[in-house]
This record gives sequence, C-alpha cells and structure tokens, in this order.
Amino acid sequence: MADVILVEGLTKFYGKQRGIVDLDFSVAPGEVFGYLGPNGAGKTTTIRTLLDLIRPTSGRASVLGFDSKREPGEIHRRVGYLPGEFALYENLTGGEYLQHLAALRGDVDEGYVRALARRFDLDLAMRIRSLSHGNRQKVGLLQAFMHRPELLVLDEPTQGLDPLMQQEFYGLISEAREEGRTIFLSSHVMPEVERVCDRVGIIREGRLVAVEDIGDLRAKEMRNLEIHFAHPVPEAAFSSLEGVRGVDVEGDRLRCTVVGPVDGLVKAAAAFEVVDLVSHEQSLEEIFLTFYGREENHDGD
Amino acid sequence: MATDVLTARPMLRNVFLKTVRDQRRALTWWSIGLFGTVLMYGAVYPSIRENAQALNEYMDSFPEVFREAFLGESGDFTSPAGYLNTELFGFFGPLLLLLYAIGAGARAIAGEEERRTLDILLATPVSRSRAVVEKVSAMVFGVVLLCAVLWGSVAVLGPPFELTPNLVNLAAATVSLGLLALAFGSIALAIGCSTGRRSLAIGLSAGIAAATYLFDILAPSLDAIAWLQKISPFYYYGEAVPMVNGLDPFHASVLVAIAAVAFAYALFSFERRDVAA
Repeated sequence: MADVILVEGLTKFYGKQRGIVDLDFSVAPGEVFGYLGPNGAGKTTTIRTLLDLIRPTSGRASVLGFDSKREPGEIHRRVGYLPGEFALYENLTGGEYLQHLAALRGDVDEGYVRALARRFDLDLAMRIRSLSHGNRQKVGLLQAFMHRPELLVLDEPTQGLDPLMQQEFYGLISEAREEGRTIFLSSHVMPEVERVCDRVGIIREGRLVAVEDIGDLRAKEMRNLEIHFAHPVPEAAFSSLEGVRGVDVEGDRLRCTVVGPVDGLVKAAAAFEVVDLVSHEQSLEEIFLTFYGREENHDGD
Repeated sequence: MATDVLTARPMLRNVFLKTVRDQRRALTWWSIGLFGTVLMYGAVYPSIRENAQALNEYMDSFPEVFREAFLGESGDFTSPAGYLNTELFGFFGPLLLLLYAIGAGARAIAGEEERRTLDILLATPVSRSRAVVEKVSAMVFGVVLLCAVLWGSVAVLGPPFELTPNLVNLAAATVSLGLLALAFGSIALAIGCSTGRRSLAIGLSAGIAAATYLFDILAPSLDAIAWLQKISPFYYYGEAVPMVNGLDPFHASVLVAIAAVAFAYALFSFERRDVAA
C-alpha cells in the first residue's frame, strides 16, 4: 500500500528564518511514527505543513495520497489533528465544543465520544473557561480521535497530561494501532517515543538527522547507571563487560554508561547484594551528542 | 451524569450559526442601544418642531459651507425626514452600525487566529473560504438584524412624538446604512484575513471610516480636494438622501461593490497565506 505520509524535499522558511530544510521521509500504513526533536527544531512547522495550515517554500507533502496544497479538504476529512498550541472556544462546554466540531465533520459516533470522555475522566458539561490545562488537552485529544480517523497527527500530545492520563493515552495509541490506524506524533522526550513508536525521525535545527527503527535506536541508546551495593565491590568485576563504559567504582557505589541492553551489567551486579539501582535517561541533547556528537559543528548550517 | 451534554444543539450545527450564537448577547445590547438612541431622538423631536421657525432662521445664519457640511442636504431640518436624516442617519446611526460591522469583520478570522482557535477549525473539512463565507454571513445577519431594529424603533417610537417619516423612505435610508456598514465590515474583514491581526483590522478600518467621513463633509468646500468626496463611501451613503428621495440604485451599487471587492480580497489573501501558529 502507498505511504500514508510522503514528504519530499519539504522546505519552509519564514522570511529568512529557518523553519525546516529539505525534509524527506515517509510513513507507512499502520505505523506509529515518532517525530523527535527539541523545541524549535521544526516539528510543528512540518506538521502544520502536512495540514496545509502553512505553505511550504519548496518541496511537497502528500497525506493519504492527497497533495497538501491541492486537496487539503480530503486530508482534513480523514485526519485527526491535535495542535501543539491551541485554544478552545472558552464560552462553550467541552461537550458543546465537541458537538460543534462533530457537526462540522459529520459522521461522528456520540457514544464513542462519551466513552472517550469517561475514559479520560473529562466532564463534558464543564465550561472550557473553567477547565485546567490538562483537561483542555483532553478535549483537544478527543476532537482528534472522535471521528476515528485513518491518520492521527498529534503535536506533543501528552503535554499537560498527568501520568495516569498519559498511560490512558498510550493505551489509546495502541488501540488505534491495532485497528490499523496510522499515527504521527511529535515529542521532545525520548522515553515516550520509545514506548509507543515503531519508528522515529529525529529532527534538529530544521533538518532530519536520522530515521531509525525503534529497536535500532534502543541498541544505540546510552544509559547512565548508578548501582549502590550493600558492600564495597571490586571494579574488575565490571570493567570488561560488553557495552559497559566509563566504569567508576567508589567503595559500594558503581557508576557507568551502558550502550544498548543492560543485561550484562545486571547479571554481573547480581553476584553482589544490590541496594539500589538508578538509571538516568539521557536528555535529548545527550542523545544527539551520542549519535551525532562527532559530526557536530556549531557554526555550521 | 453527563448524559445529554452531546445532544444536538441547533446553534452549533455550523460555523455561521455558531458565530451568530456567539453574538447573541452583543446583538441584544446593540439592539437595546439602537432602540434607546431612537427613543432619545424621538423625545427631543417635539421641541425641535415647536421651535422650527427659530431653528431654521438660526441655521440660515450659518455660512452655507457649514450648513452643507454638518446639516446635510435634506432641506428642512425640522421635518421628520429632515430631522432623521440629519441626526439619526447623519451621525449616530452610522457610528453604531459601523462599530458593530467593523468589530464583526475584524473578529471573523483574525480574532480566531489571535486566540489560537483557528488551527482546529481549519483542520476540519471546513475549507478556508467556507469559513470566511460563513463568518461573513453572520456579520450580514447582524447588520440586517440591527437595521430592522432601527427601522422598527423609528416606526414604533416615532408617532408618539409626531416623528412620522415615510416608512418606505425610512427603509431606503436604513438599507443604505446597512450597505455602508457592510462595506466597512468587509474592509475590516479583508484586513483581518490578509494580516491575521484583529486590532490592526479594527484600527485601520475605523481610521479609514473617520477619514472618508471627513472627506465627505469637508472636501466639497475646498475645490482643490473636492474629488476626495467621491472616493468616500459616505458620499454614496448619504449624498442622494434616501430618507427623502428613496434608494439611489447607482449609489447603493457603489457600496455593494466596495463590500464585494473587499470580500473577494479577503478570500483571495486568506487562501494564499500561512495561518499563524
């Protein structure tokens, strides 16, 4: 089957200011594609171009086989979109707002909207004016999912959601995946992308620096680990393990960096009495340094 | 329990109805304001009429330029038609209608864009031009409603004060006023649609209204700039005095044309530009 999203040479400049530069990627049907990058990298620019809210300077994007510039209506009909920054009609209740959007779309199952609201513990009778940021985010999510679109385009979907609701959201994503929907979601946090995505595109300063299967990404990923033992341990027990670097033992504490699976280290540690094990996720910047550190060039592009 | 929170609300069925719904309170207050204005003018009228001769003599004492500029061309200032033309349709009527129309036109797209509600709206199957058309329809609805309230207020409140104009001519003057409001509302819409900035749309179109209002009343008295009057929408609104002579088809068409051109430009420019994030 054809690509659900196909982006070719997509470039957007705001005047002289860089938005995105010469992006090429595609998203296959049924895929959960993570679009990872720090704030200001161009994630939102890419997404808003897909939806024809902004027009590319050059290049093209097609969504579900429709050109973004020529047939945006066909795209809008089939896509559920959650903007990164948005406002809702303050004077309406959540239910009224969703009802309005449902009327504009047609063909929305009210029962499904209610079920989603119950699931996310959202009171549809409340005025949007009096909703918290998290609850507004839920209304935004509901309007993106309510017509069961073929493709979901979600810009930083979990921002403002508390951890419990994030879990609920991840559940929704896996259900959508099981139903064969395609999902394109942007994020600036690696663990989230790792958790829900099949493939990841990494964008930095407007350029796509890598597109990787999540498995390959995990294999390359580094973790900073710290293990506290009940008694001092010998450094030699850890220094020659595969994928373990920078081993530093101070009495009963071990610090090191692990590339890929932590299995070897955990098994070695199991020979001693472990009190605590702390894993520090790398920040996005650290990941960039790990992946692309040597190529980094600050006065470049 | 939240069982009926999703039951059909007719006023949320489309963008037009939702926009009208958003304005229902404002339109109620505008209507009350117009009614009150007419009531005030009506209440003053008997004393104008009683002192007709003195007033007319007093008016005659002003230089002709001044009379033309500030009293209009309706002839007898103290007749019902002359009084309404000079007072209600000469200043307060246009002021209120223009304020409403400019506000509605500026809010239509630029208002939603500035408040950041536009992304989700435009990501529905509602196209950009469709959104503009429905929003403009709501503005037209508001203008028509306010014109009807104005006409009705004069028709109902006038007689007790012996303010009894020809109701057909009153309708002609009201239509002319409505068209003037739509012309400026469309200009505000066009500025809002092309820039995405609501306050700019309001400020600039209010400025254009103020300037062209002055062109209309002051330009004729200065030969060098007399032509300026002809580019003023106010000229096409009031010069033919619809309150006395009925609607002038040509002058009315010019107002319609201004609205149509501004509307077309609004569609054209909004269709081509980026929506602000």
